[in-house]
Amino acid sequence: MPGLSFDNYQRNHFLTTKGFGAPTATSTGTTIVGCQFKGGVVIAADTRATAGDIVADKNCEKLHRLAPKIWCAGAGTAADTEMVTQLIASNLELHSLLQNRDPRVITALTMLKQHLFKYQGHLGAYLIVAGVDPTGAHLLSVQAHGSTDVGKYQSLGSGSLAAMAVLETHFKEDMTKEEAMKLCADAIESGIWNDLGSGSNVDLCVMEVGKDAELYRNYLTPNVRSQKAKNYVFPRGTTGVLRENVRELLDIEETVVTFGDAMEVDA
Amino acid sequence: MNATVASEYSAEVHSVPIEHRFNPYSDNGGTVLGIAGEDFAVLAGDTRQVVGYSINSRYEPKIFDVGDDIVMTANGFAADGAALIDRFRNQLKWYKFDHGGKKLSIKSAARYIQHLLYGKRFFPYYVSTLIAGLDDEGKGAVYSYDPVGSYEREQCRAGGAAASLIMPFLDNQVNFKNQYEPGTDGKKKKELRYLTLPEVLDLVKDAFSSATERHIQVGDGLEILIVTKEGIRTEYHPLKRD
Amino acid sequence: MNSISQRYTHANNNSVMNEIDSARSETSGNHQLELAPSIQLPPISQPTDFLRAHTDDASNPDCKIKIAHGTTTLAFRFQGGIVVAVDSRATQGNWIASQTVNKVIRINPFLLGTMAGGAADCQYWETWLGTQCRLHELREKERISVAAASKILGNLVYQYKGMGLSMGTMICGYTKKEGPALYYVDSDGTRLKGEMFCVGSGQTFAYGVLDSAYKWDLTIEEALYLGKRSILAATHRDAYSGGSINLYHVAESGWTYHGNYNVGDIFYDIKEKEQSFNNVDG
Repeated sequence: MPGLSFDNYQRNHFLTTKGFGAPTATSTGTTIVGCQFKGGVVIAADTRATAGDIVADKNCEKLHRLAPKIWCAGAGTAADTEMVTQLIASNLELHSLLQNRDPRVITALTMLKQHLFKYQGHLGAYLIVAGVDPTGAHLLSVQAHGSTDVGKYQSLGSGSLAAMAVLETHFKEDMTKEEAMKLCADAIESGIWNDLGSGSNVDLCVMEVGKDAELYRNYLTPNVRSQKAKNYVFPRGTTGVLRENVRELLDIEETVVTFGDAMEVDA
Repeated sequence: MNATVASEYSAEVHSVPIEHRFNPYSDNGGTVLGIAGEDFAVLAGDTRQVVGYSINSRYEPKIFDVGDDIVMTANGFAADGAALIDRFRNQLKWYKFDHGGKKLSIKSAARYIQHLLYGKRFFPYYVSTLIAGLDDEGKGAVYSYDPVGSYEREQCRAGGAAASLIMPFLDNQVNFKNQYEPGTDGKKKKELRYLTLPEVLDLVKDAFSSATERHIQVGDGLEILIVTKEGIRTEYHPLKRD
Repeated sequence: MNSISQRYTHANNNSVMNEIDSARSETSGNHQLELAPSIQLPPISQPTDFLRAHTDDASNPDCKIKIAHGTTTLAFRFQGGIVVAVDSRATQGNWIASQTVNKVIRINPFLLGTMAGGAADCQYWETWLGTQCRLHELREKERISVAAASKILGNLVYQYKGMGLSMGTMICGYTKKEGPALYYVDSDGTRLKGEMFCVGSGQTFAYGVLDSAYKWDLTIEEALYLGKRSILAATHRDAYSGGSINLYHVAESGWTYHGNYNVGDIFYDIKEKEQSFNNVDG
């Protein structure tokens, strides 16, 4: 059967009651934003992925490509944003092949919301969808249960309040591309500093009408790790060896063939 | 071939019940660490205080000079930690009034703190407590406690949110656990020796900068209190703020 | 209702009743509880439920305050006195809190107490027991019997029954009239006199080795080795036991300490010497 398997649903429920909780999925904390400017749209994200209080990935990618000129930023369960995004990207590609047109942002959004609604919020994907299509530049967002929003500037994730504070103060209509990029980067930085679920670097993607989308991976890197005070190289032999076992994965045979006379070479 | 199990939403048992119970505890994150040297002891802690995903403060010191060349910290629930340290300071003051200003040895301070903690055995302080100072012979001493007062003198100890990240590092770098003399085929352990103060400070800085990398509740600043026979000195180093 | 929890019931919040109670307690002269500290309770109707919710990691794995647990301890009587052997690991949930815990509490030069269960409970009440034993000496002008000492502890924990104390302890000592004596006391209030006890999460592993090689006629050296070997077996199979082994011998002249043995080191020595643990490399 296609789709998700619920085979272990009841078993897992039973195990939870016995005190064996489900393993924690990576990343709920995130800051993602998007904002429109004159003739395009920018989205941005931080790069921290967490598992509980532990940073699982210091430089993960939260910007996903749905189509060449439609990108989305994902918050919520890392696996869900990744898989949902890939699925919709495939369907969007097939759809545009079938229709022989560039895919539209609203199509991507509709496919996403219908998919997410079907799963009643069990897919923990919160996405900001943005892009340019024949109808112009668009900025939209969709939540795990399937509800959607339209707006000139948006933020999602645990750092959304910190980011929105920046967006609300500095957003203005018809910004230049550079202004919009700066605004998005500032909003993400606000999340990076003030929200514990967000951190590390800023990724950014600009989609401008009539141009290729531009992905700025690690647009800002304000959190470079400082040099360690000590050197932790252990001298060889520091670890005790209990047992040694060398496996011969290849049988090497050497055969020497001797020729009686000097080899004759054709002229 | 129908592998899906029927599930009636209304009949679902919620495994995480909503609690409406008296809950006087919260977790303010942060991490602390103490190392004893031959003639010094250090207690270090980050200066970030958090609740949930928010930062309450980027500089809220939690290591204190409590008097008589003893430094103390109680990491975990900040209110309990503050209450415990206040109580200890207050009792130390009364001890001095009652005993003509007599100095309280770290050994006695340690035992007294056990009584403070165990006095709330059935309503515990939600903290991991550390004290550091010099013993009667002038040697560095670190005492560590569980929330209800079991305690032990140790060479080093990490407590708080990132204890599980730092403690294995300390075992390896301070007590040389799992390190052998090269060329002895794991037969001869690397010999124990007292670390010098600069070595210890480097370890502390690396422990905290590394914990900051991987634990979201650790960061902003590192404050180190150093106890020597000259007295107590404080160092501050910035940490990453993300 | 026991006397501790009685003090916290609503009926006793009446100031007149309090006065009567305090007057009564002054005349009753309960010497043992005089020195017992007052322990604060949470200001709610069911303190025990509160404590369980916040500190019992068995019933609530997510509880915030994890109290140190997990141990193997043993003591047995034999021809030459008593051997006491313990491991040194303290665990809080799956976290190894310490590998260097001192689980034998030296109550006085003739009495030892072992520690299993809640580390703070054992450490605190056994040192408290030390003060009680000293007071007994001062009052009675003779050393306390092991039976009496263990009973003081037994009575104390019984007063707190149901409130969440967790202790499994052995009181070992030597007096003229009793000879070498060994008592098991736990927080349920159980108090048993016996020849041999193993206590803690690794007790079964220790019993296995101990039972198979124990004789009354063991020499002191043999007995010490058997104690050490039994704890080693327990540390090998019980994840909640480990660290190092502390060995004691109790005889007429009091107890003597027989050293600390790192499990990681002696394991390979014993494996080689005995040709045992053949399932392990090295």
